[in-house]
Amino acid sequence: MKPDDIATAITQALVQGGSQWLVATIVAFLPAMWTMTLILHLGRPYVIRTLRRCGLRLGADIWWMSYLLMRDAVLLITFAMSFIFFQPSIVANSALPITGPLAALCLLIALAVKLSRRADDDVQAYRIVTAFLVVGATLYYGPLVFAVEAASQTYLAGFGQAFTSNSNVGPALVIMWISLVGVGIVAIWLFIRALVSANRTMAQRIKPPQKQAPVLGD
Amino acid sequence: MSVQDLTNAIIDGITAGGEQFLEGTLAAILPAVWLALLGLHLGRPYILEMIDRFTLRLGADLLWLVYIAVRDLLIVSGVVMSFMFFFPDVVVTDALPLTGGLAAVCLFAVLLVKLMGDPDHNLRDFRLVTYLLGLGAVFYFVPYLFGVQFSSIAPASFAGVSNFLVTNTNPNWAIGIGYASTALLAILGAVAAAYVLRTGGRAEAQDTAAQDTAGTI
Repeated sequence: MKPDDIATAITQALVQGGSQWLVATIVAFLPAMWTMTLILHLGRPYVIRTLRRCGLRLGADIWWMSYLLMRDAVLLITFAMSFIFFQPSIVANSALPITGPLAALCLLIALAVKLSRRADDDVQAYRIVTAFLVVGATLYYGPLVFAVEAASQTYLAGFGQAFTSNSNVGPALVIMWISLVGVGIVAIWLFIRALVSANRTMAQRIKPPQKQAPVLGD
Repeated sequence: MSVQDLTNAIIDGITAGGEQFLEGTLAAILPAVWLALLGLHLGRPYILEMIDRFTLRLGADLLWLVYIAVRDLLIVSGVVMSFMFFFPDVVVTDALPLTGGLAAVCLFAVLLVKLMGDPDHNLRDFRLVTYLLGLGAVFYFVPYLFGVQFSSIAPASFAGVSNFLVTNTNPNWAIGIGYASTALLAILGAVAAAYVLRTGGRAEAQDTAAQDTAGTI
């Protein structure tokens, strides 16, 4: 083998291996992101309890703002990272949880509920968000722990084969396309809602102030 | 060997090496996280003493908030980083502490007590958190020191015990403990979800010390 061949092999390996490494890193970090999402969402009563003990408004505001920013940013980043579940080639070639796309859809619905209702003031909305997050986490963790990360366990071989995307490609792609349609519907709804809301609020702002009727005697 | 063979070999090396590097880094950082969270939990009286010396309420509030934020984020990070103990393939392949999964369950139980109780104002809850952290530290550090770190230099008389405490040299126990930890974690998670669904995310625990300053017991 000539030096040029080795250089070509290393270049190809860095390009292909780099993309595989990126996907593998996202897959490796997703459980951590899901766990953070759940813990931060479920930890709200503790955060409020701490908030109530703050003697000054400033401390309470900083505490609440930090919590909200972290909780919602983690939720959003987890959904963004879950987008690998909607790429057919990755779903077909990499070992991913087969219900990962449905878990991502649940995350997006939770985000949509947060956007459309005041989940921090409306108990019912908070419960809906919690339910979607718990269902999404179950759909993610179940196949991950007992299928994708249990390939060495012979007694789980059947479950592992059924719930890993690259060993059960047909159903995996069907689940992916169905979830993608769901994501599309939710995204379109969010888009229309944002437009309608912007039109309404901005129209009020642009509207010229009504002239006051002249007072008698002016 | 063709160019494609060499390419495939390098790709395998990058991905497998990268995965092992990530798991190795997490395993190496976890003892530091454990020590830091134990130090912060046990250092609570020191923080309270400092708070008493503040002449300005703002400084006292900020110190207390930063303290509990760092302390609790470390506990959350500990749970998140311990997730590898629940993956059978990782447990069988890597040299990890045998009872690391149970240590992670203890950490999660601490979070559950903080969620449902009030360990910063209720003595019973504070004691419970301290016991759970102590138990978790034993579950983590005993197999880590006497198994993972000691196995390579252990004399023959201790080699058996040392290998028993490491997951990849004792895969049957490791898998069993991993599944038990997963079940416990699932139960605790279900309890947390049920509590939050019932309360609707509000702070339900009785405000025993509404007039208290931060952190008084």
